Amino acid sequence: MSFNETIQVHAGTIVEDDQLTLEQLCNTCAVDADWIVSLVDESIIEPDGNEIRSWRFSGISLRRVRTAQRLQKDLGVNLAGIALALDLLEELNQLREQLKSTGSYLNKQHAPS
Amino acid sequence: MEYKDYYKIMGLSRDASQDDIKRSYRKLARKYHPDVSKEADAEAKFKELGEAYEVLKDIEKRAAYDQLGANWQAGQEFKPPPNWDEGFEFRGGDFSSTDNQKFSDFFSQIFGDHSAQSGHSRRQSHEHLRGQDSHAKIHIDLQDSYHGATRNISLSTPEMNAQGQVQLKHKSINLKIPKGIKPGQHIKLAGQGNPGLGNGQPGDLFLEIEFNSHPLYRLSETDVYLDLPITPWEAALGGKIKIPTPEGNVELKIPANSRQGSKLRLAGRGLPCKPPGDFFVVLQIVLPAADTEAAKAVYAQMKQSLDFNPRQSLGV
Repeated sequence: MSFNETIQVHAGTIVEDDQLTLEQLCNTCAVDADWIVSLVDESIIEPDGNEIRSWRFSGISLRRVRTAQRLQKDLGVNLAGIALALDLLEELNQLREQLKSTGSYLNKQHAPS
Repeated sequence: MEYKDYYKIMGLSRDASQDDIKRSYRKLARKYHPDVSKEADAEAKFKELGEAYEVLKDIEKRAAYDQLGANWQAGQEFKPPPNWDEGFEFRGGDFSSTDNQKFSDFFSQIFGDHSAQSGHSRRQSHEHLRGQDSHAKIHIDLQDSYHGATRNISLSTPEMNAQGQVQLKHKSINLKIPKGIKPGQHIKLAGQGNPGLGNGQPGDLFLEIEFNSHPLYRLSETDVYLDLPITPWEAALGGKIKIPTPEGNVELKIPANSRQGSKLRLAGRGLPCKPPGDFFVVLQIVLPAADTEAAKAVYAQMKQSLDFNPRQSLGV
């Protein structure tokens, strides 16, 4: 267990290019497969592939599962609530982005050049 | 060590009922949850709130905390009075070791460092378990995705030491940022997660990518946007102008009779993913100030020569 600084360069893989199996997703998030299946049933995450064995999860699924875990643990939200919260949060983030860009434009207009 | 006023953190008076405490926690947790709130200190506030609730929701812990007295000020240098905890018995194991590490020194001083007694440290030595995967967020620049880059990133990870205590370890790694990476994507570094037990393999490290905001460009999925200020005559007559892009300056042809807010697309010049995004230029017509005689004369001339009513659609 050495935690000295390394000069090695780590390349890694992009999760989107090399998607996760159900087992990998469970390991990564330290959750049961049953819970992941219930997230899929609630359309909170949407894997590629028809059967459980061939399910492949994207990086977006990974992010949603981790947010779902936090919402459940910290706020006691149930699955339907998590699904609603995640959708609303995504919409909220998009609106924040839009507001930021409109806001920056308005500021530029009002600033003396 | 600083005294923490758990009642103040939860916005409650010291005589609050257990129901008040629960309601206040629910309300504030929704407000400060780091996934919901975008306030800069939301995460710190949420942790503080969690710690306050951990104590106040538990009648035994709350009584022990109350025993310290009401005269402490938040942030005041704190030393527990001698024998303050006499007669109190804490039920251990109310929270996991991973939860405990997020609490303050103040909390650990009073309620102890339960991580040392956690089950993890009692594992049989002949067990070989794969280490847990770990997760972190990293921020990169737009240019890093355009060109690919190597960035030095520092990470702090909680680590169990030989005594079974949780400590924060800092490590820094040089990470290759692949060209064309998008915000929200994850880079997986195999074997860079938590160490395994015994001969178990180490876990993997997942890095979620976020982009720093850029002074000129903004991002929507894989498309990149630039607000381009242009003159009224460039918009009206058209012309070629030089614009910046993350790949360097290019000449852009503005069509005649362009309008405010029009979008011009440079196909394939957004983030270099597969398929690549587009680069959009949003025209922003800037009016010159009428602050000289010459400028006023031009505006006067326009008024005279042009039959133009921008309020036609308003019926006036």
